[in-house]
Amino acid sequence: MKQLLLACSLLFLAACQEQPLVSTQAQGSSEKVLSQKEPSAIKEETTPTSGEESFSIQQQGIVPKRIEIPAINVDAKITSERLTEKNEMEVPSNAEQVGWFEPGTKPGNSGNAILAGHVDDKNGPAVFFDLKDLSAGDQIYVTDEDGKKLTFEVNKVVAYPKDDAPLREIFGPSNNQNLNLLTCTGTFDHSIQDHEERLVVYTSLVNS
Amino acid sequence: MKKVFSMLMTAILVFGALGSTVFADNHSSNEAMVRVLHASPDAPAVDVYVDGNAVVEGAEFKASTDYLKLPAGDHNVEIYAAGTKGEQDPVISKSLTVEAGMAYTVAAINMLENIELKVIQDSMSVTEGKTKVRVGHLSPNAPTVDVGMIDGDAVFSGASFPMVTDYKELDPMTYDLEIRTSDGTQVKDLSGTMLEKNTVYSVFAVGTAENLEVLMLKDYTLMPDSMPQTGMGGTAQDSSSLLPIALSVVLFGAGAMIFYRRRTQEQ
Repeated sequence: MKQLLLACSLLFLAACQEQPLVSTQAQGSSEKVLSQKEPSAIKEETTPTSGEESFSIQQQGIVPKRIEIPAINVDAKITSERLTEKNEMEVPSNAEQVGWFEPGTKPGNSGNAILAGHVDDKNGPAVFFDLKDLSAGDQIYVTDEDGKKLTFEVNKVVAYPKDDAPLREIFGPSNNQNLNLLTCTGTFDHSIQDHEERLVVYTSLVNS
Repeated sequence: MKKVFSMLMTAILVFGALGSTVFADNHSSNEAMVRVLHASPDAPAVDVYVDGNAVVEGAEFKASTDYLKLPAGDHNVEIYAAGTKGEQDPVISKSLTVEAGMAYTVAAINMLENIELKVIQDSMSVTEGKTKVRVGHLSPNAPTVDVGMIDGDAVFSGASFPMVTDYKELDPMTYDLEIRTSDGTQVKDLSGTMLEKNTVYSVFAVGTAENLEVLMLKDYTLMPDSMPQTGMGGTAQDSSSLLPIALSVVLFGAGAMIFYRRRTQEQ
């Protein structure tokens, strides 16, 4: 019996020794910037909006129906997605479509419009599998049902721990006309059936 | 026996302590959001420093920043004419206290000779399907005004410099609004003001009475409490959490303990 107990405690100690590894990982896996525009370009992006057109801001928005990202061969339909009762953003139930966060801003309006897509389904890669390969300067086209097309350009690509992403920065108000693309990334944790990180591709409208 | 038991207990305690740091909620809950607005009509372009760090450079009249994160607590805000830090005194130097989880607009207001900082708390909520708006009178020499529908009722009444009204929740649509004096004289035509659903706005009247202008800023848009779940693991390399293993060890250990104690008692 004593041997059994000893074995137990040893197992325990083993588990404990593993623990710091997990905790280091948690600390180490904070924000990871995968791609970013040159500082000078960023500066331009974040320069405060001059008031000139401030009053008639946000009138360019469209209801997005289709997204094309030539750099990673994405051409997908966009569905409108709502907030659930638990205050979570719904996402398309399939792997091929991209969801627009309809309660938020329209792409082209001032603010952060949101498109989310799966990185994978249970069997393999999904529509946003290659999103992590985008880099600053890549272009994204979003079209409405009448064919009106807006062009956005990638500013930066950042991975966050799934519970530690700056939600207000991603979803919140902005003076700029931004479109942020979301998907999962990082290791898949089977115990919670979820990826450990979220990828955010920050893009801004290119004035045509 | 006691020794083994205490070892086990220690192990549980240690595990528990470490576990709690791992699964702690790491939200940036001790931060406030602050944006800066230049609403002083005759002041030059400015650089804004918070605690000695530049947060905005070369901001001109009517410019506003997006919200910036600031740790909760006291901060020293200094505003200099652009490029003059180190050569001249700041135009404004003021202590700013911000609370965690709150959003603020910090506006430089009034004419340059009387320039001051006005700190306004911004709403971070809206009823789903509604729009929310308030009006700020930041024009130093403009009279007391109402904001209302053209040929219709006032939505906001009796706003005078430097007052910011309470928010009003409205149905989202395009409104034909105007700024007018209490006798009904139109000061500024705001027809075609589109207020989107799920969005909170601040509409600031700025400039001098002779050249009144309007800035419309978004304070908040409806957002989820968490990032969406956008993967099912079909392309993931296997990695299982330690938690189930550790838990089963705890349960197994506890079971063994009870079993062992019973046996000892029986003897």
